[in-house]
Amino acid sequence: MGSDVHEEELISIPITVDVPYRFAAGKYLGKFLVELRDNGTFYGIRCPVCKRVQMPPRIVCAQCHVKNTEWVKLGNEGTLVGFTIMYIPLTDPTTGKPHDPPFTYGSVKLDGSDSVLDHLVNIEPDVSKIWVGMRMRVVLRPKGERIGDLSDILYFEPLEGQVQPE
Amino acid sequence: MKRNVAIVGGGQTYHAARRHDVNQVEMVNEAVRRALDDAEMTIDEMDAVLLGNMEFFEGTHMTDCWMVDGSGVYGRSGLKITTGGTVGATIVCAGAHHVASGLFDRVLCIGFEKQEEGDTGAILSGVAHPLYGRSMAGAAVGYFAMMGTSYMATWGATEEHSAMVAVKARQNARKNEYAHLKLDISVQDVLNSRMLAYPIRILDMCPASNGACAMILADEKTARDRSKKPVWIRAMDTAHNEQFELDWRDVTTKRKIFSRVCAERIYKKLGVKDPAEYFDVFEIYEPATWSELVWYEDLGLCRPGEGFRLVEEGKTGIDGSIPVNPSGGVLSTNCIGASAMLRVWEAALQIRGDAGGHQVPRDVRRALSTAYGGTNWTVMIALSADRDD
Amino acid sequence: MAEETNYEIFEVDQHITAHSRYFAGKMGSLFYRTLRDEKKIMGVNCKKCNKVFWPPRSTCGRCFSQLAESDMVEIGPQGTLETFTLITYSEPVHPRTAPFIYGIIKLDGADTGMAHIIDEVDFDDLSIGMRMEPVFEEERKGTILDIRHFKPVS
Repeated sequence: MGSDVHEEELISIPITVDVPYRFAAGKYLGKFLVELRDNGTFYGIRCPVCKRVQMPPRIVCAQCHVKNTEWVKLGNEGTLVGFTIMYIPLTDPTTGKPHDPPFTYGSVKLDGSDSVLDHLVNIEPDVSKIWVGMRMRVVLRPKGERIGDLSDILYFEPLEGQVQPE
Repeated sequence: MKRNVAIVGGGQTYHAARRHDVNQVEMVNEAVRRALDDAEMTIDEMDAVLLGNMEFFEGTHMTDCWMVDGSGVYGRSGLKITTGGTVGATIVCAGAHHVASGLFDRVLCIGFEKQEEGDTGAILSGVAHPLYGRSMAGAAVGYFAMMGTSYMATWGATEEHSAMVAVKARQNARKNEYAHLKLDISVQDVLNSRMLAYPIRILDMCPASNGACAMILADEKTARDRSKKPVWIRAMDTAHNEQFELDWRDVTTKRKIFSRVCAERIYKKLGVKDPAEYFDVFEIYEPATWSELVWYEDLGLCRPGEGFRLVEEGKTGIDGSIPVNPSGGVLSTNCIGASAMLRVWEAALQIRGDAGGHQVPRDVRRALSTAYGGTNWTVMIALSADRDD
Repeated sequence: MAEETNYEIFEVDQHITAHSRYFAGKMGSLFYRTLRDEKKIMGVNCKKCNKVFWPPRSTCGRCFSQLAESDMVEIGPQGTLETFTLITYSEPVHPRTAPFIYGIIKLDGADTGMAHIIDEVDFDDLSIGMRMEPVFEEERKGTILDIRHFKPVS
């Protein structure tokens, strides 16, 4: 670096852009979110051709290009199909609230659904204590605190008394 | 009406964590000038300029409008494309369509990302569906991590195999003057690095790079008259994942997901029976190490569950029988808007024999490039030294 | 259809807040440093087109010549008002609260204009072709708002 540091000063300008949005859920997703908020129930929808139960419910089956019409009430329990242990914080971008690491994060297929759902898993963040195939239940926020969003789910929780198969 | 399309030139920037010395358009202009020099053409000969990047990653909308001076599109046809991580390859496809249509003879394609200027975390959260998943959007690394745990549980691979991919990439990058992460690392270095989301460690993930890539596509007459080593685009295909379906991370899923569908279709177009034998080199888009192992299988380079054996046996190394990512791949350089185009350009360099230190030591006549982007698209482009092969 | 359900309207308000940082590059940095430290405004000359551009840029869009810091020239400080308007609504991104006057001033020596705020004059007293000069901030940071506004030359 020469003596004239001033000569090499590279200018940058910070600007913050804050954009407000109002999103409409539409009919099918709206019904899913309303049922979750008001009744704590998860709904899927079944395609008349391939019979897949899709969550969240959507008007058209992407594979078959036909209208989905059969609403299916799903269970609040399911099977863990994937997981990880996060060592970096997870911040909800809609609220700015961070979830501090380490914590377990997993993907659960609710009974009756062909789609999976990702969320936090309420279990000690230890790879030896969790396995693919574990049975989980969904734990929701109490009714008055639910807003109709996946954050209405507090976490998945393992059903009691499970032993890893080998 | 369809005409043959060739790559007649290209260029890239020296990709880096920081490029404070240039603004966005100046960075793009570096790649553009290098591509024009490589093709020995002038900007006036370009009939159209196509530009792509990740939407709002630089904190600016309509980057094509803001870069008119430096991209060379002033007074010409042009358009901007944003398709997430695949955009670099989508731009090449669009450019090829422009030339193949017969309406344009020479098209300049540009992909870039000056990631340091934007707020990628905030903008990436905007990719998630606002009402179904955005509140959980901070876990992007977690998606690839889940792919990793699924892979290990199903096939018996270990964290060492992920580290082998990380080492292969960065050691290859050391031979590539333009690459960002030229790291002299060992498997142990990777295993000692900080865990982000089990089993992904910081050295298992791609960097955030600032960089640009430009390529010039031309019709056959231009290629024959002007280019010493035209590289022919023989086939292209694009496939999307079904919205809301996350099973692509579950390696046991039977569903025909985007990567498998795209590979099947492009192989059918070319009559490929054994891709490992048909193509001499692969440049694939691997945001994380586990993606590469799964890509090997989805591309049919080996049977399902054997991807990790390929890297274990060194088959996908730069001097292996199935070289994958001799450039260092996305794991070594990830300027997202350019990354997919770099796969095509690096594949073309291999066919031309111009890859310098990272040239694979064998006769390269055909190459395959892949692209990947959230919400899970892929674009595949097959290149050849021969117009009809 | 018999099973037409009553679908409740469901809408959610959200924000995306993005913090960006734009780098000016070498030529841009020279422009802003000169503005901030010397209260001088610089454009860039394309010798081939014989045009002086504001803002300065590294490539001439018209002829694609590469322009260097050595091609930069001082322009203004005075200029001619090319056009103007009165902004009567407020947006968060605006630098001033409405109402305020916004115009394009072609600085002496430049072939292209600069958009900026016009103040110290009534809207009704403005006319195209008027001579304008910049008013600088006391404390400057290296942004275009180091010029607080333009006002008619007295």
